[in-house]
Amino acid sequence: MDELDIIINSGSSIIQAFYEKKGSTLKDEYRRSAAIAFMDKKDMQKLDLKPHDKIDVTSKWGSVTLYVDKSHDSPHEGMIFIPKGPWANIVISPETYCCNIPTYKGIKGKIRKSQREVLLVADLMKIQYSKYSDDNVLTEKQLPVYKKRSKISHDRK
Amino acid sequence: MTESEMIEYDEIVRNCCCSYCGNNCDDITYLLKDKKIVGVRHACRLGASKIINDTDQRLLNPMIRNEEGILEETTWDIALDKVTQLLSASMRPLFYGWGETSVEAIKKGIVLAQQTGAVMDNQSTICHGASIQAFQNVGHPVMTLGEVKNRSDVIIYIGTNPMDDHPRHLTRYTTFPEGFFRQNGREDRLLITLDPKYTNTAKISDKWIQFNMNEDYSLFNAIRTILNGGKLKSDKIAGVDKEELYDLVDIMKNAECGSLFFGLGLTQTLAKQRNVDVLIQLIEDLNKYTKWSMLPMRGFFNVNGFNIAMTTETGYPYGVDFARGYPRYMVGETTTIDLLNRREPDFFMAVAADPVIQFPGYSIKHLTQIPVIQVDTHWGPYTEIADIVLPSTRVGVETEGTGYRMDGIPLFMKKVIDKPENCHSDEWILHQLNERIKKINGDT
Repeated sequence: MDELDIIINSGSSIIQAFYEKKGSTLKDEYRRSAAIAFMDKKDMQKLDLKPHDKIDVTSKWGSVTLYVDKSHDSPHEGMIFIPKGPWANIVISPETYCCNIPTYKGIKGKIRKSQREVLLVADLMKIQYSKYSDDNVLTEKQLPVYKKRSKISHDRK
Repeated sequence: MTESEMIEYDEIVRNCCCSYCGNNCDDITYLLKDKKIVGVRHACRLGASKIINDTDQRLLNPMIRNEEGILEETTWDIALDKVTQLLSASMRPLFYGWGETSVEAIKKGIVLAQQTGAVMDNQSTICHGASIQAFQNVGHPVMTLGEVKNRSDVIIYIGTNPMDDHPRHLTRYTTFPEGFFRQNGREDRLLITLDPKYTNTAKISDKWIQFNMNEDYSLFNAIRTILNGGKLKSDKIAGVDKEELYDLVDIMKNAECGSLFFGLGLTQTLAKQRNVDVLIQLIEDLNKYTKWSMLPMRGFFNVNGFNIAMTTETGYPYGVDFARGYPRYMVGETTTIDLLNRREPDFFMAVAADPVIQFPGYSIKHLTQIPVIQVDTHWGPYTEIADIVLPSTRVGVETEGTGYRMDGIPLFMKKVIDKPENCHSDEWILHQLNERIKKINGDT
């Protein structure tokens, strides 16, 4: 089987929240904790997937490449869990049905095995949203990049 | 034999209030060495990670994005003047965030929104807003966590996983502590989890009921039907055997004092506030037999405080629009995601929040078209699309303030260490913006 229909579920996981609150969102450790789809063992067998393989998750709203791992909360055949974060946000539904809350859980999607790169936060932002640059060159940056002023003059207040 | 200390410290500060989740644990001890936090006692993994965090992504100076698209450090005066200029030129400003800052800062934010005709919204709009709508629809059988600790013998968690999101909820408030009427702690209580997944909370529960996703509404209606003496026509409701539901109703009716907690599993699936509506009605019906009450599992430490402060000041809990000069609240119209999906705002400021972690990609796309301001402590995904960055301080660590626990109890949060030299509190930043806007408005 090449492709599998699944229901996408997103939410907090303690590992993802730990790295998010620690303030290390640019680093690989955050990517490893949030750019990941937790799957039922039976679903993994159907696509011949092993932990740390990669999959493309596609929904009506977008497509993103993620690592896969065996779910500790199984059985939940036909459902994948993606911790909340910039990766999950690409595939979840913005539809609020006039009730202000987007639909973060229970979105229909498809998954297939992938060889593409799982992007770091900075590269994901650059390629997905292209606010300041249109090129698709990966920066691999894991620390803030900004222009320092040699001497900050003191403020009036 | 005495055990040697794992961490070297020279000062100890007790009874601090944690600034991570809605539990607001106020029994945290900070260990300091040379006026820096080196250790934390009693906090969970998440709370501790926020108190001792990575410094290499800390925002230390105000920054403005230059013509090459790179953030460049600047002075507070230049940054604040630029924000004021963009804000006063905008037609539909939107202020979002506030869940991780103090009520004092929120108050300044409300004044700024009033002055500029902005929309003021917080994280409720993407998490428990639906619960608040349900409270407006059918009421709120509320309790405090102290009551649960001292009285409850049946605890039910629905669509929430506190072991991951609120790690000390069970140990400090609901399941494990010894209470006045529950002297044996865990042994005196029955813990039930209803969730489509076998979560970490389900693993330590006495009973786990797995139901199908997006079928919450029919499940709760079925439970309510059984409770009110009706008969179920099908053998399985939402994937659950009806015998299991009869057992559950039996347990709920025979509880001495029951407490129900629900999470985003209800508010973020298809039926949204209707799930909570029927759950509240279920609790109401249960009160014909015995004492039951319920509480939403609020996420951030002051997300509830925003709703309370906002209701006090304007009469509405979140998504308040000041565009007409008086507060308006219309779910689906003046709420953040709907505004962004309609591509309406032309100025966006997030205070103590990271919308890129929280919003759907489709909504974030609008943020690439408009001026975006960040007021926060750390460089996050949102900084990558921010035009102006104002570095702030952490409430409960570097700044004092008031936070509201998930059950509406206000708690004072101490200042323990000094802030980084060029950072300022959210309250100070918003006050400065207020003063500048006042000056512009006064001039015209």
